[in-house]
Amino acid sequence: MSTGIPLSSAATTADLSQDVHQRLGILTRQLHDSLQGLGLAEKVKTWAGELPDAKSRLTYIARLTGEAAEKVLNNVDQAKAHHDHIAAETRRIGELIVKDPVSAVAKGHVMNFIHDVEDATQQIDTNLTNIMMAQDFHDLTGQVISKVVTLAANIEAQLLQLLIITAPAEPVSKPVEASASPASPTTFVVHEHPVLQGPVVNPEGNPDVVKGQSEVDDLLASLGF
Amino acid sequence: MANDLKFLVVDDFSTMRRIVRNLLKEIGYPEADEAEDGVVALHKLRNATFHFVVSDINMPNMNGFELLNEIKKDEKLKHLPVLMVTAEARKEDIVRAAQQGAAGYIVKPFTKATLEDKVNLILTKLGLK
Repeated sequence: MSTGIPLSSAATTADLSQDVHQRLGILTRQLHDSLQGLGLAEKVKTWAGELPDAKSRLTYIARLTGEAAEKVLNNVDQAKAHHDHIAAETRRIGELIVKDPVSAVAKGHVMNFIHDVEDATQQIDTNLTNIMMAQDFHDLTGQVISKVVTLAANIEAQLLQLLIITAPAEPVSKPVEASASPASPTTFVVHEHPVLQGPVVNPEGNPDVVKGQSEVDDLLASLGF
Repeated sequence: MANDLKFLVVDDFSTMRRIVRNLLKEIGYPEADEAEDGVVALHKLRNATFHFVVSDINMPNMNGFELLNEIKKDEKLKHLPVLMVTAEARKEDIVRAAQQGAAGYIVKPFTKATLEDKVNLILTKLGLK
């Protein structure tokens, strides 16, 4: 069975394939040696551990913003319903008063309306407070975004440094400028504190964190507070 | 008396400062100022009269623990109740805050009722309500 490729051409393709594999092998070895030599192997392991954390943090942001939007829309719906009711009642009572003011008062329509307004304003006030409270996602997601950005910037800086170190000796058309300090190329930033802190995005199954205010109160009570 | 109490709300997020100030107003404490970090807070506390501090923990320049420490070290400020309102939900942070002298600890997200309960409880304990 013929492949339709001339023998000489097939041989060239095989050679090229072998050459590519050989080059990839060399590059992989160089990268491996560089990572080991620069002590980056451990860093890479750390990044590998932090990236899923960053992923779950981004999922947390999506969940929190989604919940906030849902809460706002629900409260707006409720507030509008109260508002519509009061608007309709105002028109109805207005007509009754115009028609027969004495009867409107005597039959209790006006007093009922006043109670309705009082109830509705209380409900609307609660809705407005809920809408305000829903904005707390800005604080929580802001903290999480800041941590993920720090992680991304850290990885970028380390990779840039690695690129500079392992770049070919011959000049390239557009040199890469290192934004890092002029320290030794083998000097890498070691964070004193864990890169990712802030809100706990996955409290389930973690005995070191509390899952809500009641657990905070229990813990403080156990300490005598 | 309680209505005259002046609060200082410390948080690096302006949204959260605004939310806490609005909630304090709703629960009967309309007098409140704000600061974006511990440094600004400490400056305000040393240059004006306050009765209550509501502080975040995770802030730039001077965090909530450092602020709490500075307040408790200062003879003129150490009597001030400090309520921590924070996203930090680690038990070690809660224990640390308690050991450093925080009057209370609220984890975000929280409700108006939680803030009201904690503030009133602390003020009652101090005989200010």
